[in-house]
Amino acid sequence: MKSPARMRVGIWLGCVLACAIIVARSQYAADLAAFLPSSPSPTQRFLVDELREGAVSRLILIGIEGRTQEELGALSRALAGRLEKNERFSYVVNGAQEGLRGDGEYLLRNRYVLSPAVTPERFSAAGIRRALEQQLDLLSSPTSMLMGDLLPRDPTGEMLQVIGRMQGQGGPDKRGGIWFSADGTRALLVVQTRAAGFDIDAQEQALAQIRASFEAAVPEQHAAGARLIVTGPGVFAVESRAGIKRDARRFSLLGTLLVSAILLFVYRSLRVLALTLVPVASGALAGIAAVSLVFGSVHGMTLGFGATLIGEAVDYAIYLFTNTAPDSTPKTTLQRIWPTLRLGMATSAFGFGAMLFSGFPGLSQLGLFSIAGLFVAVSVTRWVLPELVPQGYHVRTAAGLGPALMRWLSRAHRLRIPLLVLVVAAVAWLAARGSTVWDDDLSSLNPAPLRMQQVDQQLRADLGVSDVGSVIVVRGDSEQAVLESAERVGATLTALQAEGVLAGFDSPAFYLPSAGAQRARQQAIPDAATLTRNLAAATDGLPFRAGTFTAFVEETQAAKRRALVTSQDLAGTGLGLKLQAMIAQRQDGWFAMLPLREISDKRLLEAGLSKHDRSQMVLLDMKRELDELYRGYRLRALGFAVLGAVMIVVMLMLTLRSATRSWDVVAPLAAAVLVTAGILLATGTRLNIFHLVSLLLVVGVGSNYTLFFERGNPGAADPQRTATSVLFCNLSTVAGFGVLGFAATPLLSAIGTTVATGAFLSLLFAAILKARSPQGADDH
Amino acid sequence: MRGRNDVLAALFLALGVSSVSPAGPAEPAAQWGIETLMQQLSEVSHAQARFVERKYLKVLKAPLELSGTLTYTRPGRLEKRTLKPKPETLTVMDDELTLENPGRNERRVLKLHDYPALWGFVESIRATLGGDIKVLERFYRVELEGGPAKWRLYLAPREPSMNEVISLIRIDGRQSHIDTIEVQETRGDRSVMKIVEDVP
Repeated sequence: MKSPARMRVGIWLGCVLACAIIVARSQYAADLAAFLPSSPSPTQRFLVDELREGAVSRLILIGIEGRTQEELGALSRALAGRLEKNERFSYVVNGAQEGLRGDGEYLLRNRYVLSPAVTPERFSAAGIRRALEQQLDLLSSPTSMLMGDLLPRDPTGEMLQVIGRMQGQGGPDKRGGIWFSADGTRALLVVQTRAAGFDIDAQEQALAQIRASFEAAVPEQHAAGARLIVTGPGVFAVESRAGIKRDARRFSLLGTLLVSAILLFVYRSLRVLALTLVPVASGALAGIAAVSLVFGSVHGMTLGFGATLIGEAVDYAIYLFTNTAPDSTPKTTLQRIWPTLRLGMATSAFGFGAMLFSGFPGLSQLGLFSIAGLFVAVSVTRWVLPELVPQGYHVRTAAGLGPALMRWLSRAHRLRIPLLVLVVAAVAWLAARGSTVWDDDLSSLNPAPLRMQQVDQQLRADLGVSDVGSVIVVRGDSEQAVLESAERVGATLTALQAEGVLAGFDSPAFYLPSAGAQRARQQAIPDAATLTRNLAAATDGLPFRAGTFTAFVEETQAAKRRALVTSQDLAGTGLGLKLQAMIAQRQDGWFAMLPLREISDKRLLEAGLSKHDRSQMVLLDMKRELDELYRGYRLRALGFAVLGAVMIVVMLMLTLRSATRSWDVVAPLAAAVLVTAGILLATGTRLNIFHLVSLLLVVGVGSNYTLFFERGNPGAADPQRTATSVLFCNLSTVAGFGVLGFAATPLLSAIGTTVATGAFLSLLFAAILKARSPQGADDH
Repeated sequence: MRGRNDVLAALFLALGVSSVSPAGPAEPAAQWGIETLMQQLSEVSHAQARFVERKYLKVLKAPLELSGTLTYTRPGRLEKRTLKPKPETLTVMDDELTLENPGRNERRVLKLHDYPALWGFVESIRATLGGDIKVLERFYRVELEGGPAKWRLYLAPREPSMNEVISLIRIDGRQSHIDTIEVQETRGDRSVMKIVEDVP
């Protein structure tokens, strides 16, 4: 090796080492939020933040099944007891009342500032009289025994007012005081982690803690055979990451083996086979390192997608080796094919480059990964690989293969009419399907396997909670401001509820009224002398025993003087956690969420809300909003893909300086992309963002084939060798991606199927369209 | 003592010795016991009665008086329809309790499982009417006094959560009829319900 060559290899090794260190230290993420826009509207940002770190993102739903009801109940209690003691969890509920005792005390103590019914009128003689008559009515009810000792303390029934608003919010069935599924076969728990949902490492530890606690509780309760089911956003993220890792590892290994087998057959040299993988590995390392450096963390999807970069990067080495004729060296071959190789790389880079500026962290990562990976792979092929190839090595193509290929190629032009028909059919179908071509359900992006998504839906149905519903989000500049807004909106909602427009709603102001509302309620309570006078007038003629209500007078006077309730008073109670889930401080202010139940007339609801400042308040249909967000994302991604395609064409025109030559390169690719999309639709698939990105990869991989086939290609000195080399590239790509099509992770299988189909069609179409060039070349 | 009587009664029952005749005034004490009573009660598949209930409450100077109808259909349905002073209907069907008050325009549905005290109270009537000793003993320590012509059943709640609300229930009856249900609440309130069965 000459010294410049040695230096090149040295630099390369240094870079590989540096990249490996960066990769080893990289953080990996798998949350959906990375695929949501990074510069959204305030509402969208609120949604994205909620998804990433909101209370909902920290929920873990647990089911225990497989034993008798009593045993499951005991297990539920034992598990809850263990988890409650653990620092990782801020909140553990299984329906047992013990955990909620603090709530009852808070509500009872503060009922006079919490109850919406507290007005000056309430404590007039007439108001008290009306309340007492209602109490008499309740006393004669068969359930009067459950009223407890509250009447003398609370004759106006404020506690009932406070609790009444919280009832009807559903909740799972109970058996023996523990939450159960409706059929009684599964005990249910809900826990909340302290760590945010996007902190996958913390979520993984929490999950391990739950499993360990369960494993410990089972023998303790003599309940061997009981099963634990766990779901929730954090669980999804953890399992998806593990699944992607597992699938990516398993199928890249399988793909690599298959590709290696093909290449070994071609090369008949282990060393050259190993060398083929050098650009691939260098590229993948560089890609991950680049993403890690720029974005701070690498998304699981990037990684999964990146594993497939093999498909394109492996081609560079194959072109080099298979094009090296017996009478030449890799270096001379490179001089010949380098312009084509470089152009192929640039084409792909332009395609993915558009993604870089899409404004979505997930897509930008993919773009950066591909560009960095391809650039490094092609550079290694150009400057490092020739130094490593054994002297005098060349590939012996199987005798007869070349000529057979050429014979087929010379007849391929007969397929031009069928190809045209196929493309027209695909275009017509795509056009006819219109926007239904796309799957705009955000859940299609969910990297978790379908089986897990089903378990999730099952547990959510059991618990009577849906992750997506309608919610009103109110913004304010401070906690007080947002609570006041929530109260104003709440007043409108209460009126609408009475009209039957909606079944009910929840509000943070139910648990923590604004200071203004609290003060107004305190002022509504008359002084002791007045109240005693009013009470005497009210009880006149009613059967209540004298002196029954002295506690009432004392407690109202205490409530009148007590300091206002703040969020600190709720710390550590179940209600405090509820409040936390409904009110949050974010970058651009305070937000309160008012979840709505069973809206029967959306139009009337909108009309009723119209009097409020709509710039500070939005009515969100969470599911629709998220899907909308995703649709916008997909549309933008499509836009950038089209932009990338245009840039590819422009670049080819500038480089090849010929419209005909550019057409020869682009036409087979366009046909392949259209027909692939058609085939996917024909098999019942609806396209999502992964298919879109995969089609871009088809363009990247396919452009190499068409460039080598293209008639003016200076690299095609030996048509037989070129044809064989392109065929091997294609075979390895189809094998590598085809295997991926069998992965359980929807993302990986979508990429695998799409790229394998598209790559094969690219080559086929390139051959069919190229077939005219022998005659065409003769014409010139 | 009572346990031994139960065993004897069960034996006689199994041997078919005890053919209970409602009119039979002087059955031997050894033959008649809780098992016989329950067996007798369980033969009634449908019963309808009028009731008058007096609630003696600490906070009130005079008792509240309510009246209405009581309907039982084997095995799980119980309806208490209060007509005076204000209409209100309580219906229990298996695990579901429905409370309807047209005056307050209110209809509430509760799961008995969620309200152990209420559940226990409902079973004191429903399981007694159904002659379901298993259910009764799950909630109460049961004791029986008297003979077939005039018996008295004492039910003392087992569960602390229920004991917080009810301290003792006393049911008086003759043969397969219930005459009075008296509920002693732990806080000192008390209710007495007199039942007069409709002749079918």
